[in-house]
Amino acid sequence: MQDAIIQTQGLTRNFKKTCAVDALDLSIGKGELFGLVGPDGAGKTTTLRLLAGLLDLNGGEATVAGFNLRKEHESIKKEIGYMAQQFSLYAELTVLENLRFFAEIYDVPSEEIAERTENLLQFARLTEFKERRAAHLSGGMQKKLALACTLIHEPKILLLDEPTTGVDPISRREFWDILTNLHLNGTTIIVSTPYMDEADRCSRVGLIYEGKLVICDSPRKIKNELSGEMVEFLTDDWQKAKKIVGKLPGVLEAQTYGEALHLLVDNGEKRLAEITRALTKEGIKFRGARIAPVRMEEAFISLIQRLEE
Amino acid sequence: MSFRHILAITRKEFNHIIRDRSTMILVVFTPLAMLLLMAYALTVELQHIPIAVLDYDRSATSRDFVQQIISGNDLDLYQQVGSIAEIEDLLMHGDVKAALVIDPNFSRDLLAMRGMPMQVIIDGTEPESGGFAVEHIAARAEKFANEALSNQIQMMGFSEESLQPLDLRIRTWYNPGLKPRNDLIPGLISMVLGFPALSVALALAHEREHGTMEQLMATPVGRAELLVGKMIPYIVAGMVNVVILPLLAMAWFNVPFNGSFPLYFGLSALFMFAIISMGIIIGVFMKTQAAAMGVSFLMIFFPGFFLTGLFFPIVSMPEIMRLESLGMPGTHYAIITRGIFLPGIGLEILWPYAVMLVLLGFSFTGIAALFFRKKLG
Repeated sequence: MQDAIIQTQGLTRNFKKTCAVDALDLSIGKGELFGLVGPDGAGKTTTLRLLAGLLDLNGGEATVAGFNLRKEHESIKKEIGYMAQQFSLYAELTVLENLRFFAEIYDVPSEEIAERTENLLQFARLTEFKERRAAHLSGGMQKKLALACTLIHEPKILLLDEPTTGVDPISRREFWDILTNLHLNGTTIIVSTPYMDEADRCSRVGLIYEGKLVICDSPRKIKNELSGEMVEFLTDDWQKAKKIVGKLPGVLEAQTYGEALHLLVDNGEKRLAEITRALTKEGIKFRGARIAPVRMEEAFISLIQRLEE
Repeated sequence: MSFRHILAITRKEFNHIIRDRSTMILVVFTPLAMLLLMAYALTVELQHIPIAVLDYDRSATSRDFVQQIISGNDLDLYQQVGSIAEIEDLLMHGDVKAALVIDPNFSRDLLAMRGMPMQVIIDGTEPESGGFAVEHIAARAEKFANEALSNQIQMMGFSEESLQPLDLRIRTWYNPGLKPRNDLIPGLISMVLGFPALSVALALAHEREHGTMEQLMATPVGRAELLVGKMIPYIVAGMVNVVILPLLAMAWFNVPFNGSFPLYFGLSALFMFAIISMGIIIGVFMKTQAAAMGVSFLMIFFPGFFLTGLFFPIVSMPEIMRLESLGMPGTHYAIITRGIFLPGIGLEILWPYAVMLVLLGFSFTGIAALFFRKKLG
């Protein structure tokens, strides 16, 4: 990529015997909203910590915002905003005090602090809670405050490690509206997430598996990777149903979602008819059978299953 | 070094001390409570030691002697007994700590100036009380003999003084009466001021445990800025105690303060710098609060007790321990506090200790800054 703001070659980090990040080549362009997905323990957090200059590299090279990650990590820190997965603000300080603290640490000019905090509070809808101690905020508000603190110095790059884990759906949506706004204003954002609907909102998604970047593309293209269509239906006896339809010709994969069964098939129209026939014949009750669009979730699980085989 | 960064860290840490109740208690109230507790525990004066008496002589003189011994608050007569076996029984039960056995020839030998045949049996499992009883009885016996024999001596034509060729008079300077509290409390102050150092070690470990350290490491804040900003509030909190502790010692324990208060204050600031630097080193190396707590006790309080000369004179230590005690800020500070409290000496004598505190402070801070890395794992 020509105007890459983050570029890594063979980025490697080991912990004792395990290799958390294994020769990672990553190139992220200016202004991208980049999603980092992968199962737990795949190396997402380690990758973000490496990019934030919080861990030593065991191998490879990387540049972040034009600085060498090995030698100039302190210069990088001025250009990035990093948000750890765990809540990491000062619980005894109020919302306003936390913002002021980070403003001073990031050398925001004193005359600008008041205006920037005011804007960020509005942005994060925390204005009415500004005198409240961080410890007494809800989980969602804490996440928004943490984001506001990482934005106080108007960083070029945002590194967010699972910022919406453990947050209620409404706060999650609100948080992503904020991210989309930042994205539209030109901030480069790298966000790791376990939620596939969030990955769907990214401009590009990288799937990490066992420390390696397995696939890296736009959500649309990743979904297209799955050659085929999705058939779904609801049933009470999904175990038996899965057994029956799994053996049918043209069914590539079967995934269960609660009482729903999602089937990846080569031809939607044709297979839907065959599947309903087979289920009726076996006397399995089902409802709502239809051809559904492939979502990131199915694509993700399918990819991981293929990797594990 | 950015002054603004240091100030930001310092302000945040002050808020932490003031708003976090356990930190507040540890930094400000624990030293006061510990001083009170230790001053009482370590300076118990021996009084009313119960003894048994076995008087084989049963003369008027021996009865007078026993009366002399048990008058006053030092020794109490628990029981007059008739045999050694009874004494053993009393000692075994812990009813008495010592027993006085008076020889059948006690009064005869005394009046014949052949000595005072008697025996003191003490409970070796409690040598403190027993030793005290022996000293007390010996002192009283000498006085008793002098009085009982004075008439006889004069009748023989000697003056009383001529019988005592040696006249040793002991004067204790700076702490007349050798009150242990006067000597101990200024020394104890140097020990209890270790608590702010423990707090700073805990505060650093707390930041690691709560992930705020990770957040700080991702900012451009300098390593030294972070450490110095963190030290200042704990030094200030320690200085609050530096003022309160001597007031407590003077008001509560009547310990004299003969020296210059400004000098004490200034040198105490140097000590706080040195001891807080020690806390910072611990905080830099220990990743959890539990570890920081354990190591603080090993590095600050344990040596503070044994190596600083508070209870055991440094000159009587093996050489390696003497060297180690030089590296303890408490060693130098205990000399300073005792010197200022009791004889009231000034900087002309205390300057080497002040210099040592400054050197230790800068070395510790330097080591901490050198080994502190803005990296995880």
